[in-house]
Amino acid sequence: MSQMSDGGGGLRIRSPQDMGAGIFMIVLGVAALILGSNLSMGTLRSIGPGMLPKSLAVICMAIGLLLCVNSLRFGGPALESWSWKGILLVLGGACLFGLVIRGFQIGPISVPSLGLVAAGPLVVLVSGMAADDRKVRQLFIFAAVMTIGCALLFKYALGLPIPLAPWLLGI
Amino acid sequence: MGDMFSNLSLGFSVALSLKNLALCFTGCFVGTLIGVLPGVGPIATIAMLLPITFGLDPVGALIMLAGIYYGAQYGGSTTAILVNIPGEATSVVTTLDGHQMAKQGRAGVALGTAAIGSFIAGCAATLLIAALGAPLTKLALLFGPAEYFALMVMGLAFAVVLARGSVLKALAMIMVGLLLSTVGTDLETGQERLTFGFQPLADGIDFAVLAMGMFGFAEVLRNLESPETRDVVKGTIGRLLPGKEELRQMMPPILRGTAVGSILGILPGNGAVLGPFASYTMEKKLAKDPSRFGRGAIEGVAGPEAANNAGAQTAFIPLLTLGIPPNAVMALMVGAMTIHGIIPGPQVMTKNPDLFWGMIASMWIGNLMLLIINLPLVGLWVKLLKVPYRLMYPAILIFCCIGIYSINNQPMDVAFTALFGLFGYLLIKLGFEPAPLLLGFVLGKLMEEKLRQALIISRGSFMTFVERPISAGLLVVAVIVLVIAVLPAMSKKRDEVFTE
Repeated sequence: MSQMSDGGGGLRIRSPQDMGAGIFMIVLGVAALILGSNLSMGTLRSIGPGMLPKSLAVICMAIGLLLCVNSLRFGGPALESWSWKGILLVLGGACLFGLVIRGFQIGPISVPSLGLVAAGPLVVLVSGMAADDRKVRQLFIFAAVMTIGCALLFKYALGLPIPLAPWLLGI
Repeated sequence: MGDMFSNLSLGFSVALSLKNLALCFTGCFVGTLIGVLPGVGPIATIAMLLPITFGLDPVGALIMLAGIYYGAQYGGSTTAILVNIPGEATSVVTTLDGHQMAKQGRAGVALGTAAIGSFIAGCAATLLIAALGAPLTKLALLFGPAEYFALMVMGLAFAVVLARGSVLKALAMIMVGLLLSTVGTDLETGQERLTFGFQPLADGIDFAVLAMGMFGFAEVLRNLESPETRDVVKGTIGRLLPGKEELRQMMPPILRGTAVGSILGILPGNGAVLGPFASYTMEKKLAKDPSRFGRGAIEGVAGPEAANNAGAQTAFIPLLTLGIPPNAVMALMVGAMTIHGIIPGPQVMTKNPDLFWGMIASMWIGNLMLLIINLPLVGLWVKLLKVPYRLMYPAILIFCCIGIYSINNQPMDVAFTALFGLFGYLLIKLGFEPAPLLLGFVLGKLMEEKLRQALIISRGSFMTFVERPISAGLLVVAVIVLVIAVLPAMSKKRDEVFTE
């Protein structure tokens, strides 16, 4: 970790973002190699299932290495911080949609199929809380309007088989 | 020539049916509606609207998708002019003079110019596609696996060079895309690859899941972070139709832009992005008083907009004739076609002539519709532009969720999409531009198939790619393009083009 120190003209990370990108590519390549270790390479005459994934993994690692080396040579942007609130609420909201639309059972917890009537407002409300300038009342009204609009559009106008509220309306 | 007209009339007989006209109209309309929203580019728009075409027959679905695509393109220009936010790389140039015109109270004329320029470019591009379709398809039938492989390598090389940001990072994205495309069951041996032994991954990563995650969800996360500065033009829009003097001024740039854009759009790499830049530079060089540019010069809107639209359409040529998508948006069209059971390529024209020519005819109709529906509806677009992002993104999310769920009626897919959203967000944070990944992902399976076939035919000798003249030529072009891009002098120029 001696490279991390701010050692003036010596070897130091001048572009943390590129260093991160390089490490990402190397990790990805290594992961693909490990996952694909049981796949046979085959010969050039008849390529096996492992040939392409493994070659690509090696190329990814090489690019990653190059990115790391470059990050020591050229200056570049710093690593940006992550907004966990956005990730949690936006992606979490989407996952909740997936969980309740047709219900699920994980171990002892089980939720019946709640349909769009529950899943729609859930995704709008949960994800909507991620905005810094959220207005809760407005969001509630918007959730209701969007759900009704989407139900009419997807279920009736387009005829897609989406459960609306099997527990309440039976559709 | 006679062939072309009989083909086109077949196309129009398909496209002019009442149902297809309605679909074309709906596509253009909703495409513009979503495309106008700031921060929603054409890729996200098409990914989001994909599910509304599921219930249709393939011809209708493709006509509608093409309409959505033009609508999204045009919507992007509207946003560029009215809000100074380019929806995507190709409308960056439009913000320069278009937004200035809007600030001077000539927003209407700028929009009208963009619409007229796009329409003229669209007409020319449609004719070009119709003229080149048949001969290029014949050429494609001469292509063996080696040539196909080389062509795709060349396309990817162009995509790397023309992507925004670092060349190395764009290359990295292509490779990750190719790697992701190998996930799933191997077609020849039936062995599962890189699936973590996880059953839903056995069929490979679903294209729509990847696209909506990386371009829908991740984009929302990115936008949520940067506080919005939306500078919607206040004041009046003004008259829409340009006057006689303005018409005279904009005609030559439109024609030049159309020519430049059409040619660049055909390139099997993302040539279409260069069109507007090239056209803008050209107009500036040709102008008597270049200092007007950047201060609301009508030529600076007319030329690039024509080039943009021409390129957007001729980009269909490599897709329809060779089956090779030249950019991320076309990669999305491939995904959409596959969902409807059509494998793009030379066989589409021979096997489904009504689909092929119907789609081409509908391109022209779509352009006409854009002209007709957009100008009177400018007021509506302006209102839409004022919808705050805090309401826009939950709407995008619910749309995406319903869309992903309805592809396979599989709730699990929604969670996968969220995962790819996280992946896309990570990539953005690391300074990667995800668009080339999508292209690599779509081309990956086809490339592997062709590579295997080529090597079987050549009995395991890589020399086959160099010995066959066409494939050797394509590979040489790919190498030259890549080398030029890494040369220090060129990479500097490239940076200038993309920051301008």
